[in-house]
Amino acid sequence: MTEASEPIAEAARDGRLKAGLKARYAREGRFRLYGILAVSVAIGFLLLLLGRIVEQGHTAFYANQVTLPVYMDPVRIDRAYPQGTNFQQMVAQQQLARMGIADDPQGSQATAYRSLLSSELKFRAADMIRNDPSLIGRTVEITAPVSDEADLYYKGEVTRETAADQRRVSDLQMAWLDTLKAEGAVSTTFNTLLFTNGDSTEPELAGVLGAVVGSALMLLVTAVIAIPLGVGAAVYLEEFSRKGRITDLIEVNINNLAAVPSIVYGLLGVALFINWAHLPRSSPLVGGLVLALMALPTIIIATRSALKAVPPSIREAALAMGASRTQTVFHHVLPLAMPGVMTGTIISMAHALGETAPLLLIGMVSFVPGIPGAITEPAGALPSLVYIWENASERAFHERTAAAILVLLTFMVVMNAAAILLRRRFERRW
Amino acid sequence: MIWFLFPLVAVFAVLAYVVGRGLAQRRAAAASEGPTAHSRPEQHGYYALIWVAVPALAIALLAGVFSAPLAHNLLAAGAPEAVMELEPIRREAFFNDARLVGDGQRAFQTWPGALGQALATESERSARISQTLTWGGVAAAVLAAMMGGLFAWTQIRPALRARNRVEGWIGGLLFACSAVAILTTVGIVFSLLWDSLRFFQAVPVSDFLFGLQWSPQTAIRADQVGSSGAFGAVPLFAGTFLIMAIAMIVAAPVGLFSAIYLAEYASPLSRGIVKPVLEILAGVPTVVYGFFAALTVGPAFREFFNGIGALLVGGPMDGLGQYLLLVQNQMALVAGAVMGIMLIPFVSSLSDDIINAVPQSLRDGSYAMGATKSETVKRVLLPAALPGIAGALLLAMSRAIGETMIVAMAAGLAANLTLNPLDTVTTVTVQIVTLLTGDQEFNSPKTLAAFGLGLTLFLVTLMLNIVAQRIVQTYREQYD
Amino acid sequence: MKFPFFRSPDGREGGGPVDPTETPRMGGQVLPGVSVPPAAHDTRDETVMMAEPEAAAAAGVASRVPSVTSAAGPAGPTKIAVRDVSVFYGDKQALFDVSLDIPDNTVTAFIGPSGCGKSTFLRCMNRMNDTIQGARVTGSILMDGDDINARSVDPVLLRAQVGMVFQKPNPFPKTIYENVAYGPRIHGLTTSKSEMDGVVESALKKAGLWDEVADRLHSAGTSLSGGQQQRLVIARAIAVNPEVILMDEPCSALDPIATARIEELIDDLRERYCIVIVTHSMAQAARVSQRTAFFHMGRLVEHGNTEEIFTNPRERRTLDYITGRFG
Repeated sequence: MTEASEPIAEAARDGRLKAGLKARYAREGRFRLYGILAVSVAIGFLLLLLGRIVEQGHTAFYANQVTLPVYMDPVRIDRAYPQGTNFQQMVAQQQLARMGIADDPQGSQATAYRSLLSSELKFRAADMIRNDPSLIGRTVEITAPVSDEADLYYKGEVTRETAADQRRVSDLQMAWLDTLKAEGAVSTTFNTLLFTNGDSTEPELAGVLGAVVGSALMLLVTAVIAIPLGVGAAVYLEEFSRKGRITDLIEVNINNLAAVPSIVYGLLGVALFINWAHLPRSSPLVGGLVLALMALPTIIIATRSALKAVPPSIREAALAMGASRTQTVFHHVLPLAMPGVMTGTIISMAHALGETAPLLLIGMVSFVPGIPGAITEPAGALPSLVYIWENASERAFHERTAAAILVLLTFMVVMNAAAILLRRRFERRW
Repeated sequence: MIWFLFPLVAVFAVLAYVVGRGLAQRRAAAASEGPTAHSRPEQHGYYALIWVAVPALAIALLAGVFSAPLAHNLLAAGAPEAVMELEPIRREAFFNDARLVGDGQRAFQTWPGALGQALATESERSARISQTLTWGGVAAAVLAAMMGGLFAWTQIRPALRARNRVEGWIGGLLFACSAVAILTTVGIVFSLLWDSLRFFQAVPVSDFLFGLQWSPQTAIRADQVGSSGAFGAVPLFAGTFLIMAIAMIVAAPVGLFSAIYLAEYASPLSRGIVKPVLEILAGVPTVVYGFFAALTVGPAFREFFNGIGALLVGGPMDGLGQYLLLVQNQMALVAGAVMGIMLIPFVSSLSDDIINAVPQSLRDGSYAMGATKSETVKRVLLPAALPGIAGALLLAMSRAIGETMIVAMAAGLAANLTLNPLDTVTTVTVQIVTLLTGDQEFNSPKTLAAFGLGLTLFLVTLMLNIVAQRIVQTYREQYD
Repeated sequence: MKFPFFRSPDGREGGGPVDPTETPRMGGQVLPGVSVPPAAHDTRDETVMMAEPEAAAAAGVASRVPSVTSAAGPAGPTKIAVRDVSVFYGDKQALFDVSLDIPDNTVTAFIGPSGCGKSTFLRCMNRMNDTIQGARVTGSILMDGDDINARSVDPVLLRAQVGMVFQKPNPFPKTIYENVAYGPRIHGLTTSKSEMDGVVESALKKAGLWDEVADRLHSAGTSLSGGQQQRLVIARAIAVNPEVILMDEPCSALDPIATARIEELIDDLRERYCIVIVTHSMAQAARVSQRTAFFHMGRLVEHGNTEEIFTNPRERRTLDYITGRFG
């Protein structure tokens, strides 16, 4: 054992030790830098994403309205059927007359002016007449949103420098809009229509309420189905099942189901719920069923970890008192695991809220006006609304899509925050 | 329709509980010299409740599930000739409208002439059929409830081990809940297989898997299957692969280094801030990423490449410059990059778990030798964690392959067989969406192709997931 | 050096047939080399409890205390001089003003009950406590005259001079060759492959593992048995040619045969290194060390030559511990 001579001489060793040190610390510094860089990139992307969406969407929260004096021409308005009147045309002609502009025989100037006003104008006018027929023959002030193109002009999205094929407002129309603004007829208010209306083909009238109600109904169905099933399955797997092939099979199944792409669930929904069971397409019922199947594995996994976290001593104490296994689980273990279960459930519901692909397949790509009243009526959902609006050609939908995304993200943040608060408040450290 | 049945069953159930409990108490009091009751009166009450509610609910479930197809078949069986002569698509639409009118709603379309009259009669028939089925279902359910109640009546006595019976039912119910997981898998496999097999009857599997041309035209007539469309899926596979590769190039280094930083370098304070931020990033719905890709990243990349192209035009790389001037918003690079961003928190959190699973003793051993932190990570931790990280990356790849919304909103529809990231490609998932949200003729190969694609997607991701989980499990067992 | 480990009761000096049940035990072990006249054993039980340390020395001590069998060699000069060292984990103080001299070419053993701070103190000497969040060390630890806690001292360099062996063998998941080559590689100590081969061979030989693994240097380090793994870890520590080797209960996870080999190895190693060993087993300390330090509840109670500590301790607590009054 003492034959081997010293392989590295003492002095040489010290020299080599010190020589390499600087390079090693340089490498250390660079490595640490890569780590910080990676984290910054991730955080930076999040800020970029949110920033862009806020930037694009905040303009949708306010809208421009115009207040015009409208002479309710008794010649043109039918007292018995006011909504038959072409109010848009009437107002346009009156405005042109006020500005002293003569129109050509085809009325193209009036048509051009008309496209600056929203069709909401005629609904409001007709409603006013219906409520108070004595208004016919008088001049009334009506306030209504401007059309989406005019709105974009006022917000500065579209200017005279914009290329002609990128805008639908001509220079002349812009001059008219400037006149209106100079007269003080235009006001900017909070865009309540975004929150009180359902979807519409006219961007200035389009709102998210229909989609919000649709998503809410869908989540209700999902919760009612997935939570009892998921908690029941997890309780069975964790507390009652014997180790065996069937239990192993179920566990492997659940792990795999959690990783199946969401579009496959959509295909399942189409084949099973729509083609075979003939449930109504595009309804919250079918959407809720599909999302329930998607959320089920996640809820099972979360509940199982919550149950696992309850120490065995609780179960043993209950059993020793003579409680049956069922009584132990339902009277002792499950209540203690409840905070974890609720957290996992809320988080998986928040996740289900954002799923889009399966909804597209079961039919929520179509245009659904109005607010759904029951879970069997056709409805939209927030994420599919975002998809539809993103595909829309009107430029005004860009800002509204971003606004809808902000609404969606707000709901998700609220749900996630609720889950985290719940966990903090009720968490027990064993 | 049958929805009022559930409150009815609920009322019966509560009634059964109260009566059962009272009955148990009376019988126990009466048999004062016999054995004392095994279970408490409440448990007898639950026993009675179960025997009343379960048969009724079973009937109600069957009715709910089968009444619609049954009504449909009955309606079709007695339909007049004029209707039966219609093509399948129009015939289905007719039956649909008949059902709607019978329910009191409006038809989707107007039917001319003789069909219009047939609609009126058929809708009345449909209404009658549906009413019969409904009332029949209700009657059957009530009958079942009563029979169950009678049975429970005869059974309730002190010696009845009601609690055990009830708990047996509860256990069975819980088992049924977990069986739903298997049923879901069975359902997925079955539904995909069923329609895929019909697809593969029209288009041979080899054409599908190896064909290089994807242009799913719809047949003009139902019997012209496959003759006017090309269903070669290789361009789709190539597109999916290309976008996945770009996504992994973005996500793997950033995610891995984030995980290393969080696990080894970050102070508890920064870890406490960064981890929630990454979780937020993970929770953002993919449709938002799609919007971001379509409206921000796409134009930005296009301007960037166009700008480079403008610089290069007229110089030595003129050809490249001309090409770059023409790139579109919908480059594979855009979808891939945004998908990579989406995957960063996924890779990061999985890798974080993996790295933390490496035992502290290895770290101690390395530090005690005088290694710096980076040397420990590079030479000891990462090699030790390699299988686990490989598994995590496989899971991320599987996620990338199955992702729909980002590519649906940012990638194109043109099936292009290319590996050039600046080209427009389409993926399997986008085609599934396109095929099923177009015109809805359900028996054409076009819509069935979606199921063929879905089956392929399911099998590939399943394989990746199983392999990944196997690897990670073996890795974990090594250190436990 | 012979290990009188499995010496059967028959092999004892003196005495006729011995009743095995009267063989004195300490924590379940059979203590080697203790000769006890059977008759005297019973009457001494009560006296040991109440006797003064000196009085008990001749009587009870001999019946319960391990006999020091380590070869007493010439101790080298003081390698590590510790003065008033305290260690804090956050607000909790784990070590209170420890002062000690550790000589070179000697095996110094730290003994004491669980949680008394001996491992904490060991880890001070290669600044491994730096890796623990919230740990603070005060006082001075001078190695060859330089304070190792000074800002100018790089812990990376320090740890190239002070090696450590842990309780549970922790070879890296690499080949045997790569395990031993790890230290020289990261510190850049060799310049060619043949030089590295030489270093690896020399380290493995010194650790007494070469003969067993020479033909499978490129198989996994984790494929060795527990005892072989611990020797591999020792080879790994030796490969960078340290001056001090710290061992934290190196044999507690090993079987008796492996333990014996390691103890033999430690005895060989002390000829060129300064060895500090933390051990739970007093018998081991008695077998292997020349100097012993007894810790109790974060304080250094007593230190000195092993022989003195075990035959004639000055402190009451030391005596109580080594006679098994508390564990």
